[in-house]
Amino acid sequence: MNDIAAYLLLALRLLMALALFAFLGWALHTMWRDLKAQAQQDSSAQAPPIHLTPQGEGTEPLRFTVPEITVGRHPACEWLLDHETISSRHARLSFHNKNWWLEDLASRNGTYLNEEIITEAVVLANQDVIRCGEAAFRISLESQS
Amino acid sequence: MNMSRPLRWLLSGSQSGRQLRLAAAFLAFFALALTLSPAVGNPEPIDLGGLRWSHWIGLATWLAAFYWMQRAVSHELPEHDRLLLPLAGLLTGWGLLTVWRLTVLFGLRQALWVLVCTALIISLLRYKNQLLPLLRRYKYLWLLAGFIITALTFFFGTNPSGIGPDLWLGCCGLYFQPSEPLKLLLIIYLAAYLADRQPLMRGLGPLLAPTFVMSGLALLLLLIQRDLGTAWVFIFIYTVMIYAATGERRILLASLLSIMLALFFGYEFIPLVHARIEAWLNPWLDSSGGAYQIVQGILAVAAGGLFGRGPGMGSPGFVPVAHTDFIYTSVVEESGLLGAIGLLLLIALISLRALRIALRARDAYPRYLAIGLSAYLACQALLIIGGNIRLLPLTGVTLPFVSYGGSSLLTSFFALLLLLLISDQSASRHAPPPRGGPTLTITAGYLIAFGLAALVTGWWGLLRAPDLLTRPDNARRTQSELVVRRGDLLDRNDLILNTTQGLSGEYTRSYNYSALSPLLGYSHPLFGQVGLEASLDSILRGEEYQPALTLLMDELLYGQTPAGLDVRLSLDALLQLQATSLLGDQPGAAVVLDAITGDILVLASTPTYDANKLDENWESLSDTDYSPLLNRAIQAAYPPGLTLAPFIYTAALGQSILPAAPGPLTYELDNATLECQRQPANPANWAAVIASACPGPIAELGLTLGSQGLISLYRDLDFYSPTPLRLEAHTPSAISIERPGLAALGRSTLRLSPLQIALAAATLSNYGELPPAHLALAVEQSDGQWLELEPLTESRAVLNRALTAATAQELRSPYLPLWQYAAPGVGENGETVTWYMAGSMPGGTKNYVVVILLEQDNPILAKSIGQRLWLAAINQE
Repeated sequence: MNDIAAYLLLALRLLMALALFAFLGWALHTMWRDLKAQAQQDSSAQAPPIHLTPQGEGTEPLRFTVPEITVGRHPACEWLLDHETISSRHARLSFHNKNWWLEDLASRNGTYLNEEIITEAVVLANQDVIRCGEAAFRISLESQS
Repeated sequence: MNMSRPLRWLLSGSQSGRQLRLAAAFLAFFALALTLSPAVGNPEPIDLGGLRWSHWIGLATWLAAFYWMQRAVSHELPEHDRLLLPLAGLLTGWGLLTVWRLTVLFGLRQALWVLVCTALIISLLRYKNQLLPLLRRYKYLWLLAGFIITALTFFFGTNPSGIGPDLWLGCCGLYFQPSEPLKLLLIIYLAAYLADRQPLMRGLGPLLAPTFVMSGLALLLLLIQRDLGTAWVFIFIYTVMIYAATGERRILLASLLSIMLALFFGYEFIPLVHARIEAWLNPWLDSSGGAYQIVQGILAVAAGGLFGRGPGMGSPGFVPVAHTDFIYTSVVEESGLLGAIGLLLLIALISLRALRIALRARDAYPRYLAIGLSAYLACQALLIIGGNIRLLPLTGVTLPFVSYGGSSLLTSFFALLLLLLISDQSASRHAPPPRGGPTLTITAGYLIAFGLAALVTGWWGLLRAPDLLTRPDNARRTQSELVVRRGDLLDRNDLILNTTQGLSGEYTRSYNYSALSPLLGYSHPLFGQVGLEASLDSILRGEEYQPALTLLMDELLYGQTPAGLDVRLSLDALLQLQATSLLGDQPGAAVVLDAITGDILVLASTPTYDANKLDENWESLSDTDYSPLLNRAIQAAYPPGLTLAPFIYTAALGQSILPAAPGPLTYELDNATLECQRQPANPANWAAVIASACPGPIAELGLTLGSQGLISLYRDLDFYSPTPLRLEAHTPSAISIERPGLAALGRSTLRLSPLQIALAAATLSNYGELPPAHLALAVEQSDGQWLELEPLTESRAVLNRALTAATAQELRSPYLPLWQYAAPGVGENGETVTWYMAGSMPGGTKNYVVVILLEQDNPILAKSIGQRLWLAAINQE
């Protein structure tokens, strides 16, 4: 009788381990699926091209097709602006959930949208004016259709 | 019945439903195993009433609570994160059953707390839209209220356990620890403050100043309260939240530095911190005092091994306060490293899930809140688990969801509720997630820390376990001694020397020949093990010389080794008794050895003690000049004096470097003249002056051989290594001979045990062959067959065959067929011992060597004992 109990207990411990690791396996699987869904969502969203026209001097507009544009003095920035009022990584434009967003990256002189300082990520509209330090730009969005 | 149906039910349905069902299945198997556990390994048949049943109440409570919670949450928060509830549920259930298994009363209370927490979550769900903004708006108010309640413990604080810091408020059996919810209030405050202020302020200093004040105040409160664990959790939470909000790596560095500084100052100036850090750095030094809990915790982990003892089969209760601070080691002891990895993964997953919720949060406030909650869960779990397994200094915090404690459980569940609320509100049209930097770093930090915890658990549980489990303060060992029969020790004629008496469950060790105790030793639950009982322990306990499958199955099924095996010794118990009575009460030792096989017949040491009466005599045994516990024949070492002269003489003869005739017979040492021990028959004959132990010629021989010659002789005779034997032997000092003349007289740092001299003496009876010392002859295997044990070394030729025979002839006794040699040994402080060695003439069929050592100057007595013992050995059978 007591030997049977010993074998039963061993079997139960095996079942416990199975249930525990099945649980963990499902949980990890879920996390992996979520991650993949997120990645697919990000990659499938083709960013529509965006045009940036510097205000003031009559320079040519710049056209970007990447989903994320960092503005700043640092050479790694997609949009390199060598101006003393601009921080090394000043602001970020990103395409997310079918919109272009603008956010400040803790710059020294702040980022302005239509002459209003921004404190969190905001959605951009066509013909908005962005100002980083003393450099200002007008944006124009190409419609996706 | 179709077996696949329950399986299909288990895995069907929604994600969180399926996960919760799997958790329930795990807990049900756990509960069933707990129920059966009293029957396993029990020699008595057991009826249903003898099994454990009460914890099913806990499981039922858990089922009701989480069924209810799952329904309410699904209804109120349709978009909530599907993993949170199952993860928290499994952690809670595992903790609940573990606490119940430790102490039924605490389990019952914990079950009630689970119900209270469930009711709280469900009732707060009604205010799901108001709760988060409300917390944000009155952030200072909440935090101040928290401060005030915590400060109340200064005046009304108590401690439910009676000792320790007074961190609780309460009455009438209901206690509450305000510092638990204070953590959440701090997180809410920081999240709200950072979300409100960060966009408006430039520069780190002005932004952080107010948080510094508030967090500093909280820390101060906790430090005054001596609630160091919570203080540490605060620092971690603060660091992670500020780092996540600002992305400044400087914060991490500054925090690390301030923790180091705090540890240093705490170590220097605060006695409690000093004690904790001491116990962390050197737990083995104080394993019965300050580090008792840590050492016992580590022993529990070691007892768990890879698979664990099984639910209800371990002894996690040996660790003090296992149900709160040391719940992790309780889980590991019964679920093993596999369970530990599972538990660590559960906590890591819930913390990581909280980080994901933060990334998907609608705006900054819920994002920071989720990060803070994630930090709370991960840091607090890592602190206490790290403290349990000596990865970090021990701090008394709880393991969220798992540990016993109402305040802790309420706090964990409130954090769970906040995370559920945040996850439900993550808008689909949310802003781009913040740059990965800080979140990725925090994720990596979690993974490294949890991985490290798993590795260290494995280190104790697998790699260090064999050594740890033999520690005398491992009470599991003593417990299994009562249940598993220990093997007998037999002498060469199968006389039973030490045996086990009584019935399973109350086995005791009994010692049939108490005079043999210095050699055989004892195995005692309180005093541990010494002598052969210690050195042959793994065989006597049944851990060695068993089929691997038997060992594995007994380990898995019963968590025990099979019954111990009997060991037959080369010892002749009656001869040893005779030696002991000849030696009397005077401190001394006697060795009788078979010169050819190396079998040890006698390894006697006096005074003796009675291993049956340890309890009565322990004081006098451990604390006397006579030290009866010491086996003088093998563990003690004495100055050899002139005893080595025959070997030196034979070695010098072998190198043919002997001067034609010896010089002066006496030797001048420190204004004293050393004389011959006996009057030599012919002062011009080398053999005669050596036989008479004349110091002048012996010193001359030493000079002739030189330091190198002596060292190589001593090394050949194994004087520089402990005798290889299944018994703890004297460890010799380093090799060094500065003055070969004095060294030949035995006046150097060299110290020899009587057994070492006896083995050397065997070369004179056996044509220069040094035999291997042999004490344990055979093991009786579980099938009844005796397995011969080989000696640990082999016999080898050390001295010249013809010359040793000649030397033996020179030393031959005029009356008996033996060679003999008696000489004093003089130590540094002038204390004199007497050596006597004798042996059969080489070539005989019965070839025995005897060595007598007396801790006094009495060559006549030594000679008389030695001769009588030799005669007894020759004439036996």
